Amino acid sequence: MRTNQEYLIRYKDGNLYCELADIWIDPSKPVKKALITHAHFDHFTFGCEEYISNKETAILLKERIGGNIKIKTFEYGEEFKINGINISFHPSGHILGSSQIRFIFAEEKWLISGDFKLQKDETCKQYEIVKTDYLISECTFGLPIFKWDESKKIANDIAKWITNSPEKTSLLFCYSLGKAQRLLNEISQTNFKGNIYSHGSIHKMNNSYKKLGIDIKDTIKIENKKNIDELKGSLILLPPSLSKGSYLKNFKNIQTAFASGWMSIRALRKRSGYDKGFPISDHADWDGILEVVKKSEAKNVFFHHGDSEALSKFLIEKESINVLLFGK
Amino acid sequence: MSLKKFSELFVDLDSSNSTNNKIEVLKNYFLSNDPIDNSWAIYLLTGKSNKRFISGRYLKNLFSQIYEYPEWLIDTCYLKVGDSAEVITLLLKNKSTSREKKLSKISLNELLSKTIPDLSKLNEEEKNFKIKNMWETLPEDNHLIFNKILTGTFRVGVSIGLITKSISKLINIDEEIISHRLMGNFEPTIDSYKFLVNKNINLQELNSKPFPFLLANTIEDKIFKHSINDFQFEWKYDGIRMQLIKRSGNVSLWTRGQELVNESFPELVEEMSHIKDDFVLDGELLVWNFKEQIACDFSLLQKRINRKSPTRSIKIKYPIIFIAYDLLEINGRDIREIKLEDRRIELEKYFAKWQNKTENNISDIFKICDLIFPKDWPDALTYKEKSRENNTEGLIIKKKTSIYSSGRKKGIWWKYKVDPMQLDAVLIYAKGGSGRRAGLYTDYSFALWKDQELIKFASAYSGLTNIEIKELDKWIRKNTIEKFGPVRSLKPEMVFEISFEKIQISKRHKSGIAVRFPRITKWRKDKKINDADSLENAYELMKKIL
Repeated sequence: MRTNQEYLIRYKDGNLYCELADIWIDPSKPVKKALITHAHFDHFTFGCEEYISNKETAILLKERIGGNIKIKTFEYGEEFKINGINISFHPSGHILGSSQIRFIFAEEKWLISGDFKLQKDETCKQYEIVKTDYLISECTFGLPIFKWDESKKIANDIAKWITNSPEKTSLLFCYSLGKAQRLLNEISQTNFKGNIYSHGSIHKMNNSYKKLGIDIKDTIKIENKKNIDELKGSLILLPPSLSKGSYLKNFKNIQTAFASGWMSIRALRKRSGYDKGFPISDHADWDGILEVVKKSEAKNVFFHHGDSEALSKFLIEKESINVLLFGK
Repeated sequence: MSLKKFSELFVDLDSSNSTNNKIEVLKNYFLSNDPIDNSWAIYLLTGKSNKRFISGRYLKNLFSQIYEYPEWLIDTCYLKVGDSAEVITLLLKNKSTSREKKLSKISLNELLSKTIPDLSKLNEEEKNFKIKNMWETLPEDNHLIFNKILTGTFRVGVSIGLITKSISKLINIDEEIISHRLMGNFEPTIDSYKFLVNKNINLQELNSKPFPFLLANTIEDKIFKHSINDFQFEWKYDGIRMQLIKRSGNVSLWTRGQELVNESFPELVEEMSHIKDDFVLDGELLVWNFKEQIACDFSLLQKRINRKSPTRSIKIKYPIIFIAYDLLEINGRDIREIKLEDRRIELEKYFAKWQNKTENNISDIFKICDLIFPKDWPDALTYKEKSRENNTEGLIIKKKTSIYSSGRKKGIWWKYKVDPMQLDAVLIYAKGGSGRRAGLYTDYSFALWKDQELIKFASAYSGLTNIEIKELDKWIRKNTIEKFGPVRSLKPEMVFEISFEKIQISKRHKSGIAVRFPRITKWRKDKKINDADSLENAYELMKKIL
């Protein structure tokens, strides 16, 4: 077996790093060269000398960091070379522009899954099965208690939740990039036909999606709204950061909910302090992770972003897959 | 009506924080379901059915066996979820392959009156088959309810008060009457529900039932602004709060938990039945030290609570007394609406009469509570401080002009408890919590010094704020020395102030002491472990009290 230093990609200072190309993947601190899987804040940082990403991710990144960054972009599937290593981006189904990254060097294939999901989502490209020798996968929801319902069902539940309380203002908290747009897309296909408002941060991302050709239902920016009584019976999308504190005082007679995979557990739902939880996630559930591991045909798997103990043990015992740990 | 309706009710109640909302949801449920299902719903919601038909462990093993699932994986999931019934429910979602069978439309009544109780008549193999069959034929939405009832863990944030309010709204009859109708045993029958929603108010029907209890609130500073003469002062006994009822010649003893306990205390029933008058008394049942005229420890009362038809020697070893606080009804006349001070006069009058008339000396088993007469508030405080000497928990303060209403009404009765005893102790073990606290380390064990060693003396899990719990959880994960299953032993570093109600010698514990109701009252980040108390300090505390 090889030591940690001999792997093409390894963990260094808490980040994924390819020494041969001197390139970092989703680094949490400024570096020379950074490959970015997607534009969520916990997957990039300000101040890198050069960013490399898929095209849509680059546009979203510029929205978030500002236009003055040096960024190289590639289409999904388009191969490029760094130091003799062939690298390519492939859709991961997490949010618009989200990518898996494949490395090929000396006939050895490595695949970094990035954040991914297999579930249907009309606002981004479907996850692409990519074959590999080594797989580095996320496992945010790596326990069999996580089994997602169809997003259509959740959207109908949300619609019912709003229409059952016509005298209330329904505040739905969700991540402003990705989840919000997916929910808008789904909710617009339900029988809820009332007004939808969104917070500035969400509104901005909606516009970016539209510019990139994704059909998102028009919403009203909540900041432009003055008359509180008009909000009765309507839906307002807000980022989770506003759920605690004084922001809620801007509304009256509200009901609150959080859209997140964690809401499938009653204890977490209760502890969260929201009235209601809708379990919908942009990450793969247990079956999703297992499917990707199997279909990738990887002989060696690493996990990060999550509690991987049970998942690893299960794969080793039940599926005879070699699960490795990154050395520190 | 199918079980589905009840599952929906559960989801609606569980996901609402608004009282009005819950009342509305309940009302609509009662409106649209059969009396028998309504009766069962009330029975479940008020927590009357916490019988465990099958243990959580059994359920997990069964699942593991049927679906060839590794047990360790189920256990890992449990740590995250904190409830066996829910873990199995979530795992069943993955078993969609078994969904070809026709879905069952079983009613709540059928499930609770037949299917589940009948399980105990089956042998293990039949039982397992039956449960598997239920899992595979019940609609997915009903799994949680089914598993929770099976394991006796059905709980949802609905109080009796909410049920009372929704029924009261439904039939437009005063809450006090509904509350009274709900007292005592509630059998899950059509008749119970019909009685509850009967629009004719017939007081005779309530004859067998105790009155709703009036409860005391924790003392508030504003009370000290009032004149001391506005209040009646009593000792706060640590026994079983009870209504002693004699109507139409029959005596019944009802606890505050609404249990009929005649069989546990036959000597009291016997003595009271000699009294000619009918009455309802509100009071406390205690094991009494007749020689010193002082209450015995609650632990002695525990020896009698669950023992039906006690033997002669038990009755002698643990002699009981009923101390009456209040007279609520006398010879069929409900006097709850008259002022407390006037009820007290009646109580004293009748007590004197009964004492004279009975041949047996009833004062051996029944007396009325002594009143305390503090001169001013500082004097009241002195009384309170003295309450440990006579084995009471502090004072009960009652407004003299108050009527006997129900529930924890504000501004009528207050409890003024003795300050808790406290020791500073070192955190040495932590265990994962369950339910709402699942996935966090929330059950803690604390130790005191004995020479150079830390000896465990108490476990506590309440008292920290959610933010503190999260912070401590993080610290625990970083400072674990060893893991034993769900328990972690920790680097001794954190000091906490632990408060408790009682301290006594215990041979069962390594520390040699046992404390009652230990809880965390402060995270002493300012203290180092060497500043924590020793077992010697604990013994001194014990001496001070004895």
